[in-house]
Amino acid sequence: MNTKKFGKFAMVGVLALSLVTTTTNAIAADSNATINIGSLYEPQNLDNTGGGGQGVTEALNGNVYEGLFKLTDSGKVENLLATAYKISSDGLTYTFTLRSNVRFHSGKTLTSADVKYSIGKVTAANSQSARKSSFKVVKSVATPNDKSVVITLSSRSISFVYNLSYIWIVNEDAKDISASEDGTGPYTLGTWKRGSTLSLNRFDGYWGSAAKNKQVVFRYFTDATALNNALLTRAVDVITSEQSPDALAQFKSSAFKITNGASTTKLLLVFNDRVAPFKKPLVRKAITSAIDNKKLLQSIWGEYGTLTGSMVPPTDPWYENLTKVNPYNPTLAKKQLAQAGYPKGFTFRLDTPNYDPHPAAATFIKSELAKVGITVNINIITADQWYNNVYKKLDYAATLQEHVNDRDVVWYGNPNFYWGYNNPRVISLINAAEQAKSATAQTQLLKRANRIIVADAASDWIYLYPQIVVASSTLSGYPINGLNSQFFAYNITKG
Amino acid sequence: MLKYLIRRLTFLFFSIFLASVSLFVLLRLLPGDPANALLSVGATPEQIAAAQHKVGSDLPLLQQFLKWIVQLFSLRFGNSLISGVAVAPEIASRMSITVPLTMTAFLLALIVAVPLGFVAAYRARTWYGSALNAISQLGIAIPVFWVGVLLILTFSLRLMVLPAGGFPSDGWADTAGALKSLLLPVLTIAIVMSASLTRYIRSATLDVLGSDYIRTSRALGSSYVEAMWRHGVRNAAVPVVSILGIELATTFIGAVVVESVFALPGLGSLLVRAISQRDYPVIQGVLFVSTMAVLIIGFCVDLIQRWMDPRLNKSLTATRG
Amino acid sequence: MKIKSRPLTLIVGYLLVGLLALVALVSLFWTPYQLSDTTGGRLSPPNLQHLLGTDKLGRDTLSRLMVGARIALSVGFFSVLIGAFIGITVGIGAGFAQRRIDESVSALLDILIAFPTLLVAMLIVAGRGSSLSSAIIAIGIGMSSIIARLTRLLVKRVLAQDFITASRASGTSWPRVIVIHILPNIWPTLIVSLALQFGLAGLSEASLSYLGLGAPPPNASWGSLLQEAQVTVLTSPIAAIAPGLCLVALVIGVNLIADGLRSQGDPTLRKI
Repeated sequence: MNTKKFGKFAMVGVLALSLVTTTTNAIAADSNATINIGSLYEPQNLDNTGGGGQGVTEALNGNVYEGLFKLTDSGKVENLLATAYKISSDGLTYTFTLRSNVRFHSGKTLTSADVKYSIGKVTAANSQSARKSSFKVVKSVATPNDKSVVITLSSRSISFVYNLSYIWIVNEDAKDISASEDGTGPYTLGTWKRGSTLSLNRFDGYWGSAAKNKQVVFRYFTDATALNNALLTRAVDVITSEQSPDALAQFKSSAFKITNGASTTKLLLVFNDRVAPFKKPLVRKAITSAIDNKKLLQSIWGEYGTLTGSMVPPTDPWYENLTKVNPYNPTLAKKQLAQAGYPKGFTFRLDTPNYDPHPAAATFIKSELAKVGITVNINIITADQWYNNVYKKLDYAATLQEHVNDRDVVWYGNPNFYWGYNNPRVISLINAAEQAKSATAQTQLLKRANRIIVADAASDWIYLYPQIVVASSTLSGYPINGLNSQFFAYNITKG
Repeated sequence: MLKYLIRRLTFLFFSIFLASVSLFVLLRLLPGDPANALLSVGATPEQIAAAQHKVGSDLPLLQQFLKWIVQLFSLRFGNSLISGVAVAPEIASRMSITVPLTMTAFLLALIVAVPLGFVAAYRARTWYGSALNAISQLGIAIPVFWVGVLLILTFSLRLMVLPAGGFPSDGWADTAGALKSLLLPVLTIAIVMSASLTRYIRSATLDVLGSDYIRTSRALGSSYVEAMWRHGVRNAAVPVVSILGIELATTFIGAVVVESVFALPGLGSLLVRAISQRDYPVIQGVLFVSTMAVLIIGFCVDLIQRWMDPRLNKSLTATRG
Repeated sequence: MKIKSRPLTLIVGYLLVGLLALVALVSLFWTPYQLSDTTGGRLSPPNLQHLLGTDKLGRDTLSRLMVGARIALSVGFFSVLIGAFIGITVGIGAGFAQRRIDESVSALLDILIAFPTLLVAMLIVAGRGSSLSSAIIAIGIGMSSIIARLTRLLVKRVLAQDFITASRASGTSWPRVIVIHILPNIWPTLIVSLALQFGLAGLSEASLSYLGLGAPPPNASWGSLLQEAQVTVLTSPIAAIAPGLCLVALVIGVNLIADGLRSQGDPTLRKI
């Protein structure tokens, strides 16, 4: 018996041992791989407070730079460079404890002074950070010792910790980071060949567990077909965000994996709510009801994408499906138009950015609105013209635009925003939500605000983009959601 | 000859200066603001002002102009308004792709087109003469990007032998990779270019074949080939060289379509992006360099023509044809 | 040696261009479906209702192709009109001007020729937005330097001839000389070049569309149809082949006409 038992035990032991060996072997083989990532979003520069754009977040967020907190691919906020924090009872003072033994790529150890500097970079007068306005509430940043940071707010801000996940912690000695870097992430910047590639190399002095690959090369394309071809010929291992569903047919084989994740990018038909006829909510509701968003989504994205009926994507805590509020119903649309005083319809100019999917969407909208007597003149413009004429001068009636940020329904609480939606009830609800004492209260208030915004049809939220990642099937560990355009590369393995 | 060289050089610098000034004025007359490229949806008014300050578009026009003139004469071209990097090395890196791309394609096209064009004219009445003519007709009628797409379909997606696009991240240090990446783009340009060159050469040869001196030479007992060799080649070559110069110069920037199909970081793609972002230092740098290239090509064309046709030397200032 | 081929090339050329012109004309009054009709289903393959299938939005590809013929011909016609007007004016001006001005103008033209239509198009689109007329203006301006260069050359040759001197000696004014001597003499060569440019305009438009600078929707040109179809070339090749063939037919047709005209024209002026 004893020998038998021992024999069994020994067997298990050998099995376990062999398992361990194979795994370590696999890791050893993989851990020196180079991962080629194909993307359409090349950074403009490498500074996310200097107008680097979506591409800089994709390539560097979490890979080269880290925040006090991190927004995971599933949308949770986790501690990163902060190990703990305390909030005072009035909700105005936050005390953060920093992780020890964190080194910048230049070798310096992270201290609270770097955190203070980094927050200052985002709130500075010349900051182009998309999150700058979220940090208006910061009254002061104090550094009582090297390992703690005390931030005092002028009013409660329930999203403050969440917002901190957008702030890169940069070495205060690094002055200009538009073409170089000094972060704390698992990778250092290799070379950036503008118009072509950006490479990241594993940082050996990283405080956490090292990246599972040796090098990551982002390869940039301006043409979606060229990007698809690159994956087909294995010049890249993964496409961060596939933009043409029609191309997916060629990836439907065992050699590739297609994932359909959660995105926060919405296509909006934005009305200039300041001017006639879009001043009247009824007109906006009529247009929303006249356009078959479902058919448009299918036309552009095939089986992918989601209808939400509002600005809020399912990954925001205050999401509700509001597609029924302004349903597709041309008869209702005609009735509403007549009630609003436009029984014979009207004519308006639709300013349409010249890149996909806007021109196709505009064409569809034109033909839909023709059915209820509204004539659309499509005016194709460049991104530059969009910022000049639409965004800055507000010289537009309606425009198409994609909005990429998460939690951005709060922009309807700013009456000076380019869409000019001004509803005092919504403004006070959104302000109250930010000062709420609990996340539950915040969620309730924002849900109420969003219902009003949708009832007013402040804009037409046409659809939520899908986030499609296509990868070679030998690849694993890559992020599948497009939250805030991040693309964490450190867990990717090949083989 | 020296006097001629000096005249040409003076003219060269004068035209570069003129081209730059008119570009400055033209670009500033256009609506648009480089600061826009730094904005994202959600930018506040003070962020817009900060972006304008950063790129200098809030300065008075005259001040912007002076700043730019100083940069131009120091040949530094300044830094990109959007990415902040120095323009000159950026252009050099782009040229290391565009120059080999266009030059190789051009030489390849020339090697193919000269014999084909000659045969197409000399044997115009035979079946292969007509076939060459028809093929070259087809070649100039196909949009260049479509040729590129077809080559990618065949060699990259079906046969899997060549990359479909992109350039190695190590650049020319990875010589084999770089050469492989350039093969299909070179072929694309060369196919389209050789079609049109074949037609030019065919038409120039036809002209010469029908001319009096060939007929005279034939009457005096020379064979057709002999007559052609003695008198024809030079006479046919003079107008062809002029066309070649134009083709080469046009391709320098015109390669942008092919660069886009094959995702190559060339000069043309740099210019396209810079114009859409109103990145003035980059635009001016690229245009300056390409104007230089055009003028230098024109200069070489002149010299070659003079060498080939001594009659042109008699009047050094004779207008070019 | 071209006696036999001349009528044939001309006939084929006229036939191709005539056919496309007919389609363009018909599209003014009738297309199988309206361009705003999006009921065809997403990317249907060719069938009896939609002979060439439909696009993403469910529009009939054949109808779009027919409207494309109209656009292609108007791009060709109007851009040549613009190019010819600017080019001939500048060319004649330079041909008549004193040496220094003439030299500067022709050197300037050499530089301008090297800056492709694309660059002009980008500047124009930046100024007035992308539209069919922007593309036409850009292509017209782009070709004007080539036309100007040729015109100048031709004018110089005509001016060097004895009958001009004779005509001037008998008291004819310069404007009259231009109308009765110069234009008729340079026209046969010029028309060939203009015909070639007409075909090239179609190709330029296709390149502009490829880079997103061409005619915007809903009136898509063949170039933008080609560009759209690129993504689905493996799954529905007909959508890519059809506009490509139309474009090739137009360019070849126009070139054949130019060839035919060239062999009818002055045989000593066949350079361009």
